[in-house]
Amino acid sequence: MSRSRTVAVAPAAALLIATVAVPFVILASYSFQSRGAYGGVIPPWTMENWQRLADPLYAGILARSFLVAALSTALCLFLAFPLAMAITRGGRWKNLLLALVMLPFWTSLLIRTYAWMFLLRDTGLVNTWLMRMGLVNEPLPLLYNWGAVVLGLVYAHLPFMVLPLYSALERQEPQLLEAAADLGARDWQAFWRVTLPLAAPGIRSGVLLVFIPCVGTYLIPDLLGGGKTILAGTLIQNQFTAARDWPFGAALSLALMSVVLVLLWLEARRSQEALL
Amino acid sequence: MRRWVALSAVLLYAFLHAPLLVLALFSFNAGRFTVWEGFSLRWYEEAWRDTRLIEAAGNSLWIAAAATVLATVAGTLCAYGLWKRGSKPLMSGLAVSLVTPEIVTGVSLLALFQWLFRYAGLQLGMHTVILAHTGFCLAFVALVVLARLRTMDRTLEEAAMDLGAGEWEAFRRVTLPNLAPAVVSAALLAFTISFDDYVITSLVAGVDTETLPMVLYAMARRGGSPVVNAISTGIAAVLGAGILLSEALRKRA
Amino acid sequence: MKRRSLIVFPALGGLAGCLRTGRRRLNVFHWSNYIAPGTLPRFERETGVEVRLGTYESNEEMLARVLSGNSGWDVAFPSNYFIGPMRELGLLAPLQQARLPRLDGLEPRFQQPVWDPRLEWCVPLYWGSSGILANPRLAPAPERYADLWELRYARRITMLDDPAEVYGAALKKLGLPLNAHAPEQLRRAHEEARRQKPLLRAYLNAEARDLMVAGELAACQTWATTAQQAMIAAPHLRFVYPREGFALYADCGVVLRESKRKELAHEFLDYLLRAEVAAEVASETFTATAVRAVRDHLPVEVLAMETLFPPAETFARGEWFEPLPPAAQRLRDRLWTELKAS
Repeated sequence: MSRSRTVAVAPAAALLIATVAVPFVILASYSFQSRGAYGGVIPPWTMENWQRLADPLYAGILARSFLVAALSTALCLFLAFPLAMAITRGGRWKNLLLALVMLPFWTSLLIRTYAWMFLLRDTGLVNTWLMRMGLVNEPLPLLYNWGAVVLGLVYAHLPFMVLPLYSALERQEPQLLEAAADLGARDWQAFWRVTLPLAAPGIRSGVLLVFIPCVGTYLIPDLLGGGKTILAGTLIQNQFTAARDWPFGAALSLALMSVVLVLLWLEARRSQEALL
Repeated sequence: MRRWVALSAVLLYAFLHAPLLVLALFSFNAGRFTVWEGFSLRWYEEAWRDTRLIEAAGNSLWIAAAATVLATVAGTLCAYGLWKRGSKPLMSGLAVSLVTPEIVTGVSLLALFQWLFRYAGLQLGMHTVILAHTGFCLAFVALVVLARLRTMDRTLEEAAMDLGAGEWEAFRRVTLPNLAPAVVSAALLAFTISFDDYVITSLVAGVDTETLPMVLYAMARRGGSPVVNAISTGIAAVLGAGILLSEALRKRA
Repeated sequence: MKRRSLIVFPALGGLAGCLRTGRRRLNVFHWSNYIAPGTLPRFERETGVEVRLGTYESNEEMLARVLSGNSGWDVAFPSNYFIGPMRELGLLAPLQQARLPRLDGLEPRFQQPVWDPRLEWCVPLYWGSSGILANPRLAPAPERYADLWELRYARRITMLDDPAEVYGAALKKLGLPLNAHAPEQLRRAHEEARRQKPLLRAYLNAEARDLMVAGELAACQTWATTAQQAMIAAPHLRFVYPREGFALYADCGVVLRESKRKELAHEFLDYLLRAEVAAEVASETFTATAVRAVRDHLPVEVLAMETLFPPAETFARGEWFEPLPPAAQRLRDRLWTELKAS
């Protein structure tokens, strides 16, 4: 039995080694090397790239990425709750409602982000309507700023918050809320003191599922940020293309990965079974 | 409070779907901008006539198909093996693959290929893209299938083996039929992820491998003509139909 | 079993895809915004060669792909200020001038360019400048780069998403040479750019063209080619060569050292030097070409376009971009990141 099991997992293991383990080792080795005069990676081994991470400029960009990710995650959580709660009360429409939440996810991120570019431009739909309804005289600058980036992030990741939240809420027994009502609690109180705490595992999953991708996001700030914003993902991409500073890019990537892995490990320790 | 929940839910559904619906709507707009000028299919025609677009679409389909097949096979087998006996390193490996930000996956694979090519004289091309896609789809497949396997009764296979079936036969005739819907779901997921990928592909693509998202991105960056709307709507419609179809089949099974 | 056949067929298909049609191939890596539709097909018809085209939006993108020395491309078109670095990185193959009989068809100013006086490495083919595209309907058109720092344009201007261009504009505003790279000079330019950032809508390249045509922007820093394309779509727009000076660049064809089809590559470059071919590119994509005889083949409207053929006094105000020494390059890269993060 053991031999055939080894055969079964072998292809996947080989793929993981080839596409995850070895690349990371190579990145690690690059991060200790130097940049050639016009690019490329050359021998003088150095700690310089890692020391650069302490530079307020780059540390600031990393910190900002976490802040933006945290903000987007919080907004997602805030918005996902009503959705998840509504679905649990959906009766026989539950599956359809769930599918409708997931449907945008099946469309590519590129397309969904482009849709927002289309909507938020000065000549886009939102501004055209606002002006036609006389609410504003001039188009509002809705695109190419932090607000647009956060909006894009929330929009893209909302389904990932709804699903785990729904799973957690679905498992709660309605009798609990009835009992709370019997004891004199009003709707909001019952929510705050019964529903919310019991949904904690779902909240934790959802937060991880949203926060981690948001930290490393590249495409959304690239399209919606107008080149005026720079986050960790943009910075890393820049090192590997325009700036041609692969060693520094490698150090940045590994730093980002370390934070992500630490978060993952903390969560894995907290929950008894494997995270997924 | 019930009314608040219902109201917010409606608004949120609108929020989720409005951008795509608007995009679809304006893909039929005869005019270039957001002023409705009548119904027209001209942007679809223009997309259809663009050979570069068609070729890129073909590349995307080809890559997605190959990566899906490879990832589904490897992932399903891996999930099966993990179900029989867990393995912390393997699970960790899958988890790491899953949470790595796309940009980091992309640059790490680029570093891998460049390093390899220095010693092997190969080039970036279709094979590098397919390998990259298979790599990042693998974890999705493995975990979806594993989740389903965990809801299944392990003793059924043992019973079959007690009755004389070989290991492979037990898997094929007892577990697999039950597992098939999950495998199909996982394959669909892998296909979508591969087809839509931009970040990783743009970094590891070579001479021959311009994919549809790369063309779309270039068009969006150049100001986005309604042709992008048309293509986007087309893709969303096809994929959406595929999903619905697979869900319907799954319910039937 | 069904699963096995699922593997076999794609694998066979993959193998089949690897076998080419047997025609000779040439892989051309070109800028995305000025390939004329007829150029490549005609070359293919004449020579029976299959041309595979890849495009890029910036020199950096091109160099990042070509840097490995194993990218698969045969011909690329770096801007003049990338020729030096690429040569030092060992990426270029020396040109065999015997295979380029049409080289003397180049305009005199391109026959001994500063960046490659004996044309040993590159063939200057297309050139242009960057300047200001303005919409006079929205605001009085700027005449100088310094005008783009004025409050009256607030939020209705964009600059190019390119450190060389943004800092170049700032340097010209300060009255310094375009290629100034002493640390204090770069820092002064950086300070100017920082002051300007709140006034900008965004840092955009070709995206700004559509915004100008749609009437969303009053002015943007852009290339002459892009500006001319916008002016065709919206004739009220105007392209301005800033009074303090502006950047000139020339995109040159090079043969990559890794190429296994160098003769074919030379043939292609020579083809691009043909007057009719260059004229087609010029009139369809509104790019100025370096070929002298092109003027005989162009329609009058194109010849009159100042974006393509600026008068001599205007041209005299332009400065060719030069490569920065590595230390200055790193400083500028860092300042650029600071600018974006501010």
